[in-house]
Amino acid sequence: MQAKYLLLFVLPLFWNCSEDADDVYKNIPLAVEVPSNFPPLAYDLSTNPPTEKGFELGKKLFYDGRLSSDGLVSCGFCHIQQDAFTHHGHTVSHGVDNAVGTRNTPPIQNLAYQTTFMYDGATNHLDLQPVIPFTNPVEMNGNFTKAIAMMKADPEYQKLFKIAFTDGEINSENMLKALGQFMVMLTSSNSRFDKYRRHESGGTLTNEELDGYAVFNAKCASCHATDLFTDNSFRNNGLPINPAVNDVGRYRVTELATDYYKFKVPSLRNIEKTAPYMHDGRFFTLEAVLEHYNSGVIASETLDPILNKNGTLGILLTEIEKTKLIAFLKTLTDNQYLTDKRFSEF
Amino acid sequence: MKSKIIKIIALVAITFALGSCSNDNDEETAGVGKLGVEFDNVFGSSNLILNTQNNVTSQGETLKISDVKYIVSNIVLTKEDGTTFVYPKAKSYFIVNEADAATQEIALENIPAGDYTKIKFGIGVDKTQFDLGASGQGDFLTIADKAGMLWSWSAGYKFVLFEGTFTSASVTTPTSFMVHTGQTGTDYNYTEVTLDLPTKALVRTNITPDVHIFADVAKIIDGKNKIKLSDNNEGGMGAMIMGGTNLPLITANLSNMFTVNHVHND
Repeated sequence: MQAKYLLLFVLPLFWNCSEDADDVYKNIPLAVEVPSNFPPLAYDLSTNPPTEKGFELGKKLFYDGRLSSDGLVSCGFCHIQQDAFTHHGHTVSHGVDNAVGTRNTPPIQNLAYQTTFMYDGATNHLDLQPVIPFTNPVEMNGNFTKAIAMMKADPEYQKLFKIAFTDGEINSENMLKALGQFMVMLTSSNSRFDKYRRHESGGTLTNEELDGYAVFNAKCASCHATDLFTDNSFRNNGLPINPAVNDVGRYRVTELATDYYKFKVPSLRNIEKTAPYMHDGRFFTLEAVLEHYNSGVIASETLDPILNKNGTLGILLTEIEKTKLIAFLKTLTDNQYLTDKRFSEF
Repeated sequence: MKSKIIKIIALVAITFALGSCSNDNDEETAGVGKLGVEFDNVFGSSNLILNTQNNVTSQGETLKISDVKYIVSNIVLTKEDGTTFVYPKAKSYFIVNEADAATQEIALENIPAGDYTKIKFGIGVDKTQFDLGASGQGDFLTIADKAGMLWSWSAGYKFVLFEGTFTSASVTTPTSFMVHTGQTGTDYNYTEVTLDLPTKALVRTNITPDVHIFADVAKIIDGKNKIKLSDNNEGGMGAMIMGGTNLPLITANLSNMFTVNHVHND
């Protein structure tokens, strides 16, 4: 009798041993699936394969204001998930100490399929892209030395770096790779348009939307190509120059006269959510964008030849075509991506 | 019994003989040692003194230099017999900074003992490494950030940083100049320099040679290719040379900027 009770008292003590399992947590690789209607992956997964803890670390960094000099401006401050990781309503964004930049916050989606980043292609490797907003004095105004000291003193970061990377080091390489893993996993491929393209249920387009798709293919798809809606090229689309900024675009990177005022063709996915539009956010509605192409294109030395055919500047669009196009563009909204808890701050 | 003892003695003697023969050879070039590489910045035939010294170029411009930094990487040493030793890549990135004497002496470790006759190094971060993104960078991004050798408008390193003020016949008030080389949209601008050692560097377990390199910063803009700061002074706001066609010209100058002044074998 007594022995039985003794056992019953003693046995529970052994249950605590399972807590040790946390200390030998094994990092789980994350599968990167290429949707069947997408072009091939551009990111080299072999140098930085996404894992559960690497992704978790990347997300923590993404939403951590302590990376900025004022402790407030995290990546997520301007890149807000429900706006497809753009900054709702802001033409340009305010960084630390209310400093203001010159370009509109671009979305973070499907970057693993791109080969060049930022409006002017200032970097060609996704892992290095964060260096730009991180160190830019008018954005986060951060520096690696301070960030690393902060993380080395934080038990949560200590734990995550240790598990996420084989060398367990808290350094700039691993910090950027974690952010890279987070960005690689931010894939938007489940809009109604995607389901239509892949013949999945929920993929029905109305007649108006189908008409809009036809107009799109005829008049927009030469630049906004593939199901990612960009051909990744740099073009001048005839926007009048804002003399207060005189943003020379790609020229800053290449210093080639032929690159003056050229900007990267953006993806149009989730376009319903990423207003305002263009590199400086000058158009607040899709109607304004289409009207620009219809009647607002300005001639210049580097204007893209596609917008200057037979003496006609721009792309002529009737009111009906514009309505149909906008109906089509709204089918690119991917609610699953916009609400996916895996990408969320809270 | 006797023959056995004699055989044993013979065997032992031969063993000693053979053993000592091989020992003599191994003692000279066995094991690893260290090598010091010193980057001594000069301007023409003067030692470089920051800020106060007047440095005159062949283009008639007078420079007061405030800052000289460059990334040295990918060090390869060549032995007398032609074989090479590639210094472990991940450890081979250094920033030489004129304002910080400690950075001007690079201490290389675990070099196979031998007689070395050539040294090769890159100026900047090589494209192979850079194309890997953050992989393999270790702490170097942090080090470069701290040293002001990162661009923030583009995610790249500055390979050479050369700054100060200048005057010339056409620019009479001291005007700032900044030369930053690195990757631009059109050119990568990394270059490698191979130097012969005038005397052999004898790396041994107990000898650490020092290779004393002179880096003539005048050659940055006044080498094979001559770049006039006065011609790059847009609106009188300063000569900011950080991109475009000047960078490949400057990069081509860098191979003649370095010479080995002497080698100590202490």
